[in-house]
Amino acid sequence: MLRVRENRRELSSRIEVARIVVGGVFAVLAFAYWYVQIARGEHYFELSENNRIRSIKLTAPRGYVLDRNGSVLVENEPAYSLQLYRREAKSVSASIKFAVELLGLPPETVQARLTRGRRYPDFVPIPLAENLSLEEVAAIEARAPEHPEFAIVVSQRRLYKRGGSAAHILGYLAEATPDQIRRSGNVYTLGDWIGQKGIESSYEKLLGGANGERRVIVDSHAREIAEESRAESRPGQNLFLTIDRGLQQLAEELFADRVGSAVALDPRTGEILALVSSPSYDPNWFTRRVTSEEWTSLLSDPNHPLQNRAIQNTYSPGSVFKVFLAYGALARGWVDPEAQVFCPGHAVFYGRAFRCHRKGGHGWVNLRNAIKVSCDVYFYNLGRRLGVDRIAEIARDFGFGEPTGVDLAHEKPGLVPSEEWARTKRKARWYPSETISVSIGQGPVLVTPMQVARAISAVVTGGKLPTPHLFFASQDPRTGVRLRYRGEERHSLAIDRAGLAIVKNGMWAVVNEPGGTAFGSRVPGIEAGGKTGTVQVARRDAVARAGVDPRRLEDHAWFAAFAPIEDPKIVIVVFVEHGGHGSSAAAPVARRLLAKYFGVDVEPRPGEPGFSRASARTAAAPPATSAGVTE
Amino acid sequence: MISRVLPVPRRLDLVILSCALALAILGILFVSSTTEGGRFDGLATRQAIWVLVGLGGLVAAVLFDYRVLLKFSFFIYCVSLAPLVYLLFFGERIANVKSWIRVGGFQFQPAELAKIATALLLAYLFENEDDARMKGGTFLKVGVIVAVPFLLVFLQPDAGLAATFLPLAAMALFFGGLPGRAWIAILVAVALLAGVGWFVLADYQKQRIGTFLNPESDVLGSGYQVRQSKIAVGSGGFTGKGFRAGTQSQLRFLPVQHTDFILAVIAEEWGFLGVCLVLALFATLLLRALTLARVARDRGGVFLILAIASMLFFSVVVNASMMIGLLPTTGIPLPLVSYGGSSVATSFLGIGLILAVEYRRFANA
Repeated sequence: MLRVRENRRELSSRIEVARIVVGGVFAVLAFAYWYVQIARGEHYFELSENNRIRSIKLTAPRGYVLDRNGSVLVENEPAYSLQLYRREAKSVSASIKFAVELLGLPPETVQARLTRGRRYPDFVPIPLAENLSLEEVAAIEARAPEHPEFAIVVSQRRLYKRGGSAAHILGYLAEATPDQIRRSGNVYTLGDWIGQKGIESSYEKLLGGANGERRVIVDSHAREIAEESRAESRPGQNLFLTIDRGLQQLAEELFADRVGSAVALDPRTGEILALVSSPSYDPNWFTRRVTSEEWTSLLSDPNHPLQNRAIQNTYSPGSVFKVFLAYGALARGWVDPEAQVFCPGHAVFYGRAFRCHRKGGHGWVNLRNAIKVSCDVYFYNLGRRLGVDRIAEIARDFGFGEPTGVDLAHEKPGLVPSEEWARTKRKARWYPSETISVSIGQGPVLVTPMQVARAISAVVTGGKLPTPHLFFASQDPRTGVRLRYRGEERHSLAIDRAGLAIVKNGMWAVVNEPGGTAFGSRVPGIEAGGKTGTVQVARRDAVARAGVDPRRLEDHAWFAAFAPIEDPKIVIVVFVEHGGHGSSAAAPVARRLLAKYFGVDVEPRPGEPGFSRASARTAAAPPATSAGVTE
Repeated sequence: MISRVLPVPRRLDLVILSCALALAILGILFVSSTTEGGRFDGLATRQAIWVLVGLGGLVAAVLFDYRVLLKFSFFIYCVSLAPLVYLLFFGERIANVKSWIRVGGFQFQPAELAKIATALLLAYLFENEDDARMKGGTFLKVGVIVAVPFLLVFLQPDAGLAATFLPLAAMALFFGGLPGRAWIAILVAVALLAGVGWFVLADYQKQRIGTFLNPESDVLGSGYQVRQSKIAVGSGGFTGKGFRAGTQSQLRFLPVQHTDFILAVIAEEWGFLGVCLVLALFATLLLRALTLARVARDRGGVFLILAIASMLFFSVVVNASMMIGLLPTTGIPLPLVSYGGSSVATSFLGIGLILAVEYRRFANA
């Protein structure tokens, strides 16, 4: 059966070929493994380390925010959020589907968050949903064995205890944007909530503390096997604000149906006792994820509730400006306080008639009385004599044209016009007639209510320009150690005691003497001074012609007050957009705030919170405006 | 039919035997590395038992006259296909495929035995074919012999296991002397078929076919496996992280690590050196088998060695390529090393047949 000579030659040569093939293939395999293990070894080693070590953030509890008396404004409450560990997911789309269906999440939002999360390595969890209810948490936990890719994270949610109150002071938290993460040098990570406005943003570092980190070894099912290291978090500091909650609350109530802002400062220190910008918004919206409708309504609101009017809106100061002009001119010896100017009700400059707000005129007025009755003609003459550049010098002395340095972001500097400004910025020459307007606070000069409050502080303290601030003290929640605010005085004006007395006296007369423009807003028992201001939005004839929306053509109302006359403790600036006259729209607000601050009972007037018919009947209500004088 | 008179001189090839044993021991070692203390505790012991069973088969194969097996190869072939047919109709689905038969506490894949039977029948076919050029009839016979078990396994459906029959066909055609033009024709036909299929079928159809062929892993799933396996292999570096110290394997990032992915475990824990050791052992074994094939006494023996070596070669190369993503994951284990009774036992049986041919090289029976 064995054949004698079979032909093996071909077969043998094929076997030789096979030997070469086998040797060659094994050599290629060895090379491939060399490439993976040696050439790319370090890369894969790193990946394997990341594979097994999972970093779990220990979020530092954010500090509380309290008012100056320790009443809590912002605290934290527990919140549950859902995170997706992509690497654990068998199919990410199936996981997303599961979460969307179980929790009823909007698919587009979840998809958007997934897309954003994909920019980071796959061991970084993607936050999918926040603020889960306990039922939702239970539903997810129940399915955890099938879905090891989901993790429920308990975190602290910011709770603004009083809703929209003090919203512009406090700001809000929102998820750090990729841009913010990059700018922080990756201190923040995906899903971190950071302060976006207000003091939440200004004192982010202080409030936020420092997150800790646990590094744990996990298996492929994300089960924790051992803890490798642990760095505890450093809790955020509790922050005491200079705000007086009672005063703040009353101010907000007074602004409930007004548009505008109010600032109450301690002129000696710059401490902000109250800051209102109306309309407001509820910062809790952002913590609970603002819905698109809420966003749209916030953004499309013509009154821009997100804007902090006290520092971000600039307006002409109106007659309030006369106070600064008077003090500045006195301090520099540019005016004789006793020199009298005759006011016939109007004056003609450069061939054009400028009217005083009082048609009949004020007769002979000196500086003090010009402040008291807010005589336009007196200040037209003063302004014309000084010229716009000296007016600008005075305005800058009071800190106009630059941010006040308040500890809130996005503050506007305002505008102090000068001949140089006209030439270089406006590119149109300065007309002398504009100087006449500027000397009564109209025209291109623009200020923020905060700047006015600071400048008034400088006037009433005799020249010290404080830095307004909200920071009162911080407290380490572990040790209880408090840190107080140490502000620096930015600069001082020339102090002129005689001039100070004259201006203060004029401002006292505004409130306390019959004929003063805010005589109706005096508070018995409080020695207060003030100055009204009314800013024309449109010419009077235009108001008559417009008829479209007369409300938006109404004048803006200013009132700046301080008390007491000797050694003032509080400066209040009230600005009511389209409120009408300063004396009727703004001064009564200041009246109530002053009364509150000094603990004096005053009867609420019609239209004010706390007003009731009973009290109106029993009390002889003072007239809303003093007789005949509206400015 | 054990020879009554033992042929002289006896030649047991120690190179092949020691390579196979070394690989099997490595296998037991690393099965224990990845399974002890876990869900699969005790598998190393089972694997050791299977190695012993395989060694029993090896001894039997050496002592039994392979020429008798060749003579009855058609019968053996038919008998080995019977359980595959049975499985197709009555099989129990385990992990989505009907490829296992349960006997007591053990599971066995009859397809593994069918591979040996097919190898025997092919060797018998070429016993009397010594033409320099393959004849058309032989070509057809080769086709049918391989296609039948291939299709039976393919329909289980276990594409990976079915693919292990293909090297038998390639071996037979290459060593049987299929002319170059025919090779080109086959390649062109396959390429055309695949190409036409690719363009004609819609995406979801392709996906369905893919799922049908490989039901265990969806696209993302297998992507995950390859990725984890590459990390395991790559992170081993030159000397590895140390026995039982591989983070990928010990923390179970690797899928089916004691079976299909055992080489990744070796690569992670023993590094490039470990991989070289495994590859060198296989290369030595295979090159030695080719040497033995060249000098085998008869043409049936030559083809028997070549058939078994081709299957081993195919499995080793595909499995090793899978680990580092050179080929898609197909569920082909590393012969002799991976955990799995039928695979280990039949591998040893095959090694036994190679040894048997050499054992009787100078016999005259």
